[in-house]
Amino acid sequence: MKIALLTLAGLVLAPLAGGLLAGVDRKVTAWLQSRKGPPIIQPFYDLIKLFAKEKLAVNPWQVLCAWVYLMAAVFSVVLFFNQADLLLLFFVQAVGAVFLVMGALSVPSPYSQVGAQRELLQVLTYEPLLMLVFVGIYQVTGSFRISSVLDHPRPLLLELPLLYLVLTYALTIKLRKSPFDFSTSHHAHQELVRGVLTEYSGPFLGLVELAHWYETVLILGLCALFWATSVPGMAILLGATYFLELLVDNTMARMTWRWMLRYVWTVGLVLAFTNLLWLHL
Amino acid sequence: MSNLVLLLVVLPFVAAAAIYGLRAAALRSGLVMLTGGVLAVASVVLLARGLEHDFTGLPTAVLGVAWDTLITVADFALLGVILLWGLRRKSALVVLFTAAQLVLLAIFERFVLEPGPAFAPLYADSLSLILVLIISIVGSIICIYGLPYMRIHEEHLALRRSRQPEFFFYMILFLGAMNGLVLARNLLWFYFFFEVTTFCSFMLIQHDRTEEAIRNATRALWMNSLGGLAFLLGVVIAYGELGTIDMLAVVQSGSPTGVLLGALGLLAVAGFTKAAQLPFQSWLLGAMVAPTPVSALLHSSTMVKAGVYVVLRFAPAFAGTALSTGLALCGGFTFLACAALAIGQSNGKRILAYSTVSNLGLILACAGINTKAAFTAAVLLIVFHALSKGLLFLCVGSIEQEIGSRNVEDMRGLFHRMPRTAVITITGILSMLLPPFGVLVSKWLAIQAAAENIVVVTLVALGSALTVVYWARWAGLLMGSRKAGAPWESQPLLTRGALAVLCGAVVVLSLLTPVVYGELILPMFAAMPALDAAAPLEVGAGGVLGGPMGAFAVYPVFVVLVVGLLAAVLFMRRTGRTRYTHPYLSGIHVGERDAGVFRGPMNLPVTAELGNYYLATIFGEARLTRSANLAAIVLILLMMGLAMKGGVPS
Repeated sequence: MKIALLTLAGLVLAPLAGGLLAGVDRKVTAWLQSRKGPPIIQPFYDLIKLFAKEKLAVNPWQVLCAWVYLMAAVFSVVLFFNQADLLLLFFVQAVGAVFLVMGALSVPSPYSQVGAQRELLQVLTYEPLLMLVFVGIYQVTGSFRISSVLDHPRPLLLELPLLYLVLTYALTIKLRKSPFDFSTSHHAHQELVRGVLTEYSGPFLGLVELAHWYETVLILGLCALFWATSVPGMAILLGATYFLELLVDNTMARMTWRWMLRYVWTVGLVLAFTNLLWLHL
Repeated sequence: MSNLVLLLVVLPFVAAAAIYGLRAAALRSGLVMLTGGVLAVASVVLLARGLEHDFTGLPTAVLGVAWDTLITVADFALLGVILLWGLRRKSALVVLFTAAQLVLLAIFERFVLEPGPAFAPLYADSLSLILVLIISIVGSIICIYGLPYMRIHEEHLALRRSRQPEFFFYMILFLGAMNGLVLARNLLWFYFFFEVTTFCSFMLIQHDRTEEAIRNATRALWMNSLGGLAFLLGVVIAYGELGTIDMLAVVQSGSPTGVLLGALGLLAVAGFTKAAQLPFQSWLLGAMVAPTPVSALLHSSTMVKAGVYVVLRFAPAFAGTALSTGLALCGGFTFLACAALAIGQSNGKRILAYSTVSNLGLILACAGINTKAAFTAAVLLIVFHALSKGLLFLCVGSIEQEIGSRNVEDMRGLFHRMPRTAVITITGILSMLLPPFGVLVSKWLAIQAAAENIVVVTLVALGSALTVVYWARWAGLLMGSRKAGAPWESQPLLTRGALAVLCGAVVVLSLLTPVVYGELILPMFAAMPALDAAAPLEVGAGGVLGGPMGAFAVYPVFVVLVVGLLAAVLFMRRTGRTRYTHPYLSGIHVGERDAGVFRGPMNLPVTAELGNYYLATIFGEARLTRSANLAAIVLILLMMGLAMKGGVPS
């Protein structure tokens, strides 16, 4: 019963939260750029509009990949709400990431191909960092289960401050915010067509968008675990983190992927290693 | 029981000889299929008879000659043959390493070895049984796949006289030698079978007798002869310490001294050469020149698995020592370095080869971590890697025979031309990197097991991220449009059957991971008191593999993901209202929907060139190989040094 309720909560609340967050994102971005911006619920209007459009694709594989991407994102959120194993939900999330790339690669379109290669490099950059964050959580709580994080008496942030920083790097890359928005960007001025999403349109783009909302919630959920002992603490942490993301997104330009790989792996690994080392000693 | 051993070990030797003698193709095919079938059945029956066999009561002599004598004579004969090949190929290294083995073996047998307490020369526990199953079933499927493959292969070569008898002689012999190796308890028998696999792989790699094949085979021979020498040296030193050539006595010796640890380190190095670990990877990459069934056999069910088997077999003997830590570092480093090297490759077979070396590195890292969870991860990886990699090699072989290339760039949109093979290949690739497949379950476990050692876990985390890159882009480019009414692919029945059976086995066995663990791996821990004291992973209701560290709900994840995939296929099939159109080419596309042609300068059609990022400046062989080999040599020396310093707990 509890599982069913938590699953339902994950299924319904996550896209609502994700969509609203996308709306807030646009509003705050507009504010930072001295614009008025669309209403908060604009993302929902956009999604409805996408679903009402004609179904267009280059081949059926794209349709398959868009659906699998969505289902994997939903499933990983459901696992999160059910306090499953962190590594397990991470691997399930990876199913979606891989299928998104495969769908883009199935089309002989230079734009989507380049986007797919760049998306793979983004995956390559954030994956080991996320894994090390989970290892850090294990070193503190003695388990990879989310339930044992929630049972932990103190906020993880106190013991894993550097790994939290590493997590925010992974968050920025996963959300494709500048300066890490290589595979596709929402800043039109620095984007060639639409990168990895070029060949997705109409309802299929809608599926991808919806999946992205689920993923956003998942990543912010992971951030929230770092102050899981108090609800206001969680809210402060998430609010501050996301605002910082937006600030970085709006003040930075897209860099090159070579720079990302070198910079993020160096900084991320040094931070992660330092944090793990002091836990270990 | 003795009949089963006869079938699993001796029958392949006899059948191989018969295949060599019979030159009629139909008889050969029949014999290969029959032997494969018998091996598969015998391996299953052996498992059904129990999880541990000490094979007491085996006949000690055949035709009045003691088996021990027979093995000794065969061993010297084999070393002699290898020495002659070394001389013929003018390879100083082969001659040196083989002559050293001959001298060492002669001295050991003549002057050192004394009759000790008798023990049955063969032994099987779950680990041996799992390997016997892989060798006998996956190996047989590969041999059977080889029948139509070699017919087409020789048609291309236009030989005057078929060389298939020799080919299948070594293929079948290989299976017998592998079964002997994993069932051996007497270390001299173990060593004999170890050498037979070296020789078989040498003969199979040079099968086509091209200049390249001969060069690569000779390299494989010297590297594996070095491994053989390390193995023999390890056995001799261990005998000097413990006074026995009983493998079980060595494994259960407990609290090893520095000298014994050195011997165990040498055995591990022997495993490294066979498993083509850095810096020995070049022989396995060179082995690609052989016909594809050879690659499939070497990479999945034989040869390299012998290498990891040796290490895994002796690992409990050095649990908790510095040797173990060194081993974990070596394995973790190979996992990372070869995953990086794989990204730089566009040749499908080389990608598979680097992936094999990389995964074997992960298995050895698990052996080095040496806990129950790590051991489980290692065994599961052996099983699932054998299935998936065997499948993928057979897929690439079929694709190569159809499109005439093994370059992944030439496989773009393969779904149009070979829909069935493309889907099977995609499944095979995804089975190497995504849940709910068994490889991923093993990786999950490996990460959990490594989480205490921050260096190893970092190596594993980086390596598995690199792995995603080279697999995902390959699977993606196989997809593509298929025009209505395009001809369905035609394939020999045996080829299609082999692919289908292996693909089915990958999926079904992934679902059965909790059963494999609960029935085969869990019972082994009772006999391994040297491993960590933590309780082993439990199999909970609903196929949940779990412990205090975490839980992987195998059945639920499998069901949800498969249902999700089926639903996605259903949505995909409902194409009635979906309109298919050309990709976006800035509005100047011309011609067919998925041709990727646009109107270029002078109004001429230009085909958009597509290509993966191979990032040669970062991941190219020219950039990485030398430094990776150097680092690996340093790590191995470090491991040996730590071992010989004495059994200092790490």
